[in-house]
Amino acid sequence: MRYEYTVETEDLAKYYYMGKYVIKALDGVNIKIRRGEYVSIMGPSGSGKTTLFNMIGGLDRPTRGKVYIDEVDISKLDAYELAWLRCRKIGYIFQTFNLIPVLTALENVMLPMIFAGVPREERIKRATELLERVGLGDRLHHKPPELSGGQQQRVAIARALANDPAIVLADEPTGNLDLHTGLEIINLLRTLNKEKGVTIVTATHDLKMIDVSDRIIYLRDGKVQRIETRAEVAVEYEE
Amino acid sequence: MSAGKVGTWEIGEIKLPLSEAFRISLENIRKRFVRAAITTASIVLGIAFMVSILLMAQIQQIARGAPETIRAYQYWLLFISLLVSGVGITNSMLIAVAERYKEIGTMKCLGALDRHILIFFLLESLIIGGVGGIAGYIVGLIAGIVYGYTQFRPSDVIGALTSPLGTLSMLGAPTVIALLLLSVVLAMILTMAASLYPAYYAAKLNPAEALRYEV
Repeated sequence: MRYEYTVETEDLAKYYYMGKYVIKALDGVNIKIRRGEYVSIMGPSGSGKTTLFNMIGGLDRPTRGKVYIDEVDISKLDAYELAWLRCRKIGYIFQTFNLIPVLTALENVMLPMIFAGVPREERIKRATELLERVGLGDRLHHKPPELSGGQQQRVAIARALANDPAIVLADEPTGNLDLHTGLEIINLLRTLNKEKGVTIVTATHDLKMIDVSDRIIYLRDGKVQRIETRAEVAVEYEE
Repeated sequence: MSAGKVGTWEIGEIKLPLSEAFRISLENIRKRFVRAAITTASIVLGIAFMVSILLMAQIQQIARGAPETIRAYQYWLLFISLLVSGVGITNSMLIAVAERYKEIGTMKCLGALDRHILIFFLLESLIIGGVGGIAGYIVGLIAGIVYGYTQFRPSDVIGALTSPLGTLSMLGAPTVIALLLLSVVLAMILTMAASLYPAYYAAKLNPAEALRYEV
């Protein structure tokens, strides 16, 4: 069964209460992301990108509003169902890579498959394929400290795709990488997006991301400022 | 457990085979060996103290040929020393949790349930407890034998305490084995109890907050 929208938010808000101050990290965000789209969420730091990422990813509960993934209202899910959602439907990529430091590249990619109950033989086969796909076929048994930043992020991408998720959420995936490596990671994400049809949502302020995104959502002070398609951005450049 | 249908999703099972959990816990100890060793040292000292006190009472009994009772204050000392080592382990496990906030958050992103996080930390503490119990037993045994050898050799009434093996055979296999079992079981219970709060705290962490944490 296919859904038109993989991600949909409805009047999504998240407030943090700091003593008598209320910080409105998100304040009434309505977005719809189509299946297979590559969407970038842009905005200065503090604009609510990471909070939005956490809400869509089922990592935190909103103060108000709803998040639908594949048309399922995830606020209705209990802890077990949320864990399943994170395991099977969503792949996460972080700025700081967040690989498990004591496990090898292969074991890191296999970890979500362990939780998903994939048999061992199959796990090894799939994880090897994924690592080969991201260009790390010769680094299977290296641990994260023995890999460069770009290589670690490739492992993280392979891990995010381990259980064939509907969405990959990437929070500043190029934030800790140099220009060249960052570009490689962006192109890899775009290729995988095309190849596997996986929806990709990145929170970023890396302008290189604009070139590959289908749409760019500009966030400011917890609100959607404007949404542009790539064609519109290209026009702006020319002017 | 709520496997079933939600919307169009078929919610499947989330698994963590014990063998995989054990392997990951073991890797964690290996990788963070220094802190694990310090935690282990804490339990080793507690258990060694206990074994040596129990053993000395036995050795005095053998040497004097008369029943020797352990005095109340010695039990107090035992209790306090085990308590101190328990507090040390709790402290060390809390630090272990704090330095792994981000890892815990990541694990939860990959599908780990709260109880899986609990299992990782408790397994780790069980391994540390087991190793610490055995090591503490050996250290305590050596301390007891050295005590018997230095204290009673000149006035040894039956000449049994002149060699380590002599001491052991005088004590008898049942005592020696019972002490080993007591050491290991007590060490494991103690480390488990001391790790319960830190492990529970880790398991309950909200993934978004855990991820935000910078070490």
